[in-house]
Amino acid sequence: MKKIALVLFLLSGLSVFADDNVLIEEQSIQSRINNCAMKILNANKISKPVVFVYDDADKKTKLKLDTTLTKRQVVVYKYAYKHIEDENELAAFLSRRISIALRSFDGVFGGFLRSLQVSAAPKKFEMVADKRAVDFMVNAGYNPVALITYIQKTSPQRRFDAVSNHNLTSKRLATIYEYIYVKYPYYLKNNEYIDNENYQNFLLTSRDNRRLLQEKIMTGSGEKLKYE
Amino acid sequence: MCFRACAFVEDEFVNATLKWKEIEKPKANLEYNYQNTKRIPIKMKILEPFKSEKELYEGQIIEFKTVEPVVYKRHILIPVDSIIKARVETIITNGMNGIPASVILGNFEAENIDSKHLTNYYEKFGFDLSLLVFPLKWALTPLPPTGSLTNFIKGGHAKIKKNKEIVIYYYPY
Repeated sequence: MKKIALVLFLLSGLSVFADDNVLIEEQSIQSRINNCAMKILNANKISKPVVFVYDDADKKTKLKLDTTLTKRQVVVYKYAYKHIEDENELAAFLSRRISIALRSFDGVFGGFLRSLQVSAAPKKFEMVADKRAVDFMVNAGYNPVALITYIQKTSPQRRFDAVSNHNLTSKRLATIYEYIYVKYPYYLKNNEYIDNENYQNFLLTSRDNRRLLQEKIMTGSGEKLKYE
Repeated sequence: MCFRACAFVEDEFVNATLKWKEIEKPKANLEYNYQNTKRIPIKMKILEPFKSEKELYEGQIIEFKTVEPVVYKRHILIPVDSIIKARVETIITNGMNGIPASVILGNFEAENIDSKHLTNYYEKFGFDLSLLVFPLKWALTPLPPTGSLTNFIKGGHAKIKKNKEIVIYYYPY
């Protein structure tokens, strides 16, 4: 009986120790997220309050509301976090979410109407969020090419987007690439991600779209490209 | 940590078009101190007005003229009629459900003033019709498909008229 009691005592001690470790790990992740996010807010002079929280749930359940627009609270789920390989990619993820959260401050009824617009037309604001994220990252000293590598590995490519609420991932990536090429060519000329496997995969899968952009640049055309 | 490709492919497009160009690294805004709450308005008007976001392209430089001098500590920082440049950062076209177009202007540049002390960006929206469209859609929902027809009402174009006064701020911190 004494032996069983001793084993139970030891096991309970181990479980408390394991809980502490999980808590310490989560605190460290939360602190990393906060530091990066606040740097983006400060560097971009964003005077609207946005908060950030790490959630160890794998991803948002379908019935749960996205708090980015309702509470201006960016939730970083485990699924998103586990794909983040460096600070630039963390900044890429957070910058996109900040850009969406900021839309909920504008307009009438304390931003309610604007939030409704973003929810009603996510496809329209998806690319806007991507572009704003690039600007936010550059202002905060991060490399915007990381937005390409992050989206490349996390956003699945749909079959078509004509009747979808979202754009094709390849279109988004090509648009981001063009935006960086036009506004911040330094990061493509001195590309730190050129030997990154995810970026290489982007180069491989975006050949046709990059060819379109090349033709546009060579001819000096100003028309909007129809990426595939 | 990042995973390295064994034998990587060069981005030939970038090599062909950017290799020989001298490009400076964009400046990050990492030296800030937000203790000071002062901000000085810079009132200005556009030099070449536009009626729709379709007349613009991303990356385009737009010029404004100050309509009154900008004074800080009894010293004129920007005289009247000075040129202030801005870049068209992002264009959002108008959409269904009355969603208006908008133009985001950023990278403001004024003579003798460091850009990081100026407003980061300014967004000009078109006429927002969704305030009308959403209630109408909900009211018509019991009579299908009339509610869905409101989807096709488009929002207004973003425009800046000649006499429209745009206000950005100078933060002297």
